[in-house]
Amino acid sequence: MGPLIDALPFSYTVSVIALGAAVLGLTAGVLGTLAVLRQRTLVGDALAHATLPGVCVAFIATGAKDASTLLIGAGAFGLIGALLVVGLERSGRTRPDAAIGVMLSSFFALGIVLLTYIGSLNESGQAGLESYLFGQAAGLVERDVTIMAALGLGALAVVAALFRPLKATLFDADHAAAGGLPVRALEVVMTALLVVAIVIGVRTVGAILMVAMLVVPAAAARQLTGRLAGVLVLAGLIGATVGVTGALLSAQSGLPTGPVIVLVGFLVVLACLLLAPGRGVLWRARKLARDRRRLLVEGVLIDLETALHGGPPPTQRELALASGRPRRALRRALRDLERTGALARDGERIYLSESGAASVHAVLERRDLWSAWLEHGWRLELPDAREPDPRDLRASLGDEHADRLRALAAEARS
Amino acid sequence: MSADEVPLHSGGGAPALEVRRLTVSYETRPVLWDVDASFPTGALSAIVGPNGAGKSTLLRAALGLIPADAGQALVQGHPARAALDRVAFVPQRDAVDWDFPITVREVVEMGRYPVRGWLRRLTGEDRAIVDDALERVGMGPFARRQIGRLSGGQRQRVFIARALARQAPVMLLDEPFAGIDARTEATLLELLRELRAEGRSIVVVHHDLGTVRASFDWALVLNVRAVACGPVSEVIVPQTLRRAYGTDAVEDGAEAEELRWVR
Repeated sequence: MGPLIDALPFSYTVSVIALGAAVLGLTAGVLGTLAVLRQRTLVGDALAHATLPGVCVAFIATGAKDASTLLIGAGAFGLIGALLVVGLERSGRTRPDAAIGVMLSSFFALGIVLLTYIGSLNESGQAGLESYLFGQAAGLVERDVTIMAALGLGALAVVAALFRPLKATLFDADHAAAGGLPVRALEVVMTALLVVAIVIGVRTVGAILMVAMLVVPAAAARQLTGRLAGVLVLAGLIGATVGVTGALLSAQSGLPTGPVIVLVGFLVVLACLLLAPGRGVLWRARKLARDRRRLLVEGVLIDLETALHGGPPPTQRELALASGRPRRALRRALRDLERTGALARDGERIYLSESGAASVHAVLERRDLWSAWLEHGWRLELPDAREPDPRDLRASLGDEHADRLRALAAEARS
Repeated sequence: MSADEVPLHSGGGAPALEVRRLTVSYETRPVLWDVDASFPTGALSAIVGPNGAGKSTLLRAALGLIPADAGQALVQGHPARAALDRVAFVPQRDAVDWDFPITVREVVEMGRYPVRGWLRRLTGEDRAIVDDALERVGMGPFARRQIGRLSGGQRQRVFIARALARQAPVMLLDEPFAGIDARTEATLLELLRELRAEGRSIVVVHHDLGTVRASFDWALVLNVRAVACGPVSEVIVPQTLRRAYGTDAVEDGAEAEELRWVR
């Protein structure tokens, strides 16, 4: 760790904290992703809460305050918690969420009772154990970080080595089992890895909020990529970034580390949910609005064409009456059309410019093609699994099949 | 290497899939009761029966995915658990999370994992087999797409491609035609017929008696117990269907058609 710490542009203490937070964020991000994809994030929450009594028991048993001894207790209780949650679920007497709820609250209650008991033993407070509730980055020492890094590297190496079996189990456990994969054993491995991630992080982030470090990076990374390897790598990077940012902010401000890290993480998830290209909420909303606008404009073009076909160029009011569209929508569509040069005006009266006539022609042709698809689509022998896209049928079917469709429709008309 | 060159290790005359005295219970309620059935090699076979008849359970128990109370399953004459390499399984589509971060191609590659070894990298040969499987189900142009952006029919094609990539002589499909469009159903049914022509044995859990009668060779009519098992022409008849579905609505073909809605 020494050279790495020296290389950072911070003071020694701050460098240690930053490194520790990076390690915890990286491991929690990657290992938490496995839990999120198994839809077992709440198990992570229960295990994190279960580490609290573990820390207390380790302290009572050994009297040691050093992090590594206490973390052994945390890990042991995490595993016990995992066994109990699975056992209670398998008993078939409670639903999984109820089983998790029972375990989470019971372990946490036991932890609080033990913390209070330890407090009563010792005049000088609770021996600093209460920092395991909300987390404290400030107390990290180089030895802790070294242990965290060793554990984390080990866990990440397991994920890398078992990547394909893990991927197969996560995606489709039945198919994997039918291919001879020991799915149950792999699920145990994933739960054990989850415990490792929690043990690494619980001192810095705290038992209550540890679940956020497992979920936040995965949730953010999933918005940015559609491949498992990508999600794992990005979740690790996001976790490390969030961890370091939060830990440094907390160390400077004196606020508890866990909540600060979690709030930073929340901002990252929020940004990804809103802005992720192609998937983010705002992105989708914009696309939807654009599609609706296009449909409106095309509809008004057709209305205008129909009106022109039946009589003299209509005024805007006449067009509104004839089309039955809300005035505002019509006005907006006409403005769009005006801007693209599709309209020509003769005083109050509106008619189509040359380019407007061409657009009408294109729209009508698209509509005809869609009608032809609905009527004759089944007769096309499409060479692959391509499917019609109502917004652009020609592009989705390919020119050859679109032409064939038109021929079929023409044949049926004659 | 194309799919036709696959060695279809023959079962030496044994049926592709056989279950003997299979009993499976959830809690204490038996969902399969003393079922004897066999599905011949090189045939397109269907498992039909009403909802809750244990159709999917039969496949899952045969593969050892759920424990059986009694009985055994044989694949080409070998105990099924020891012959998993001879079977390609296509689970129900809704069994997986379709928002999972994975592409079409990666799903199909999973069909190669058990063949190549779970921890090994795929070879050029594997990639060629995956390409071939994608082409056969018409999903070649969609290989790089995330699976969430597929239609129901396309998803089913991906699942079948994954099973094709497995290149196993026996293929078990659980409700592959439930809730998919007519075009995909026709394409996939045609594909299954081609596979049969290549000598593969196919067992499909299916609910549409019309298709079974028109396109399948062999059927097991199931309702917890095995009502009848044999060639379609002998088995999909009013007497057995009435015993399985417990309704009198099965007097002739037209009404048998309606069973798919009664189901």
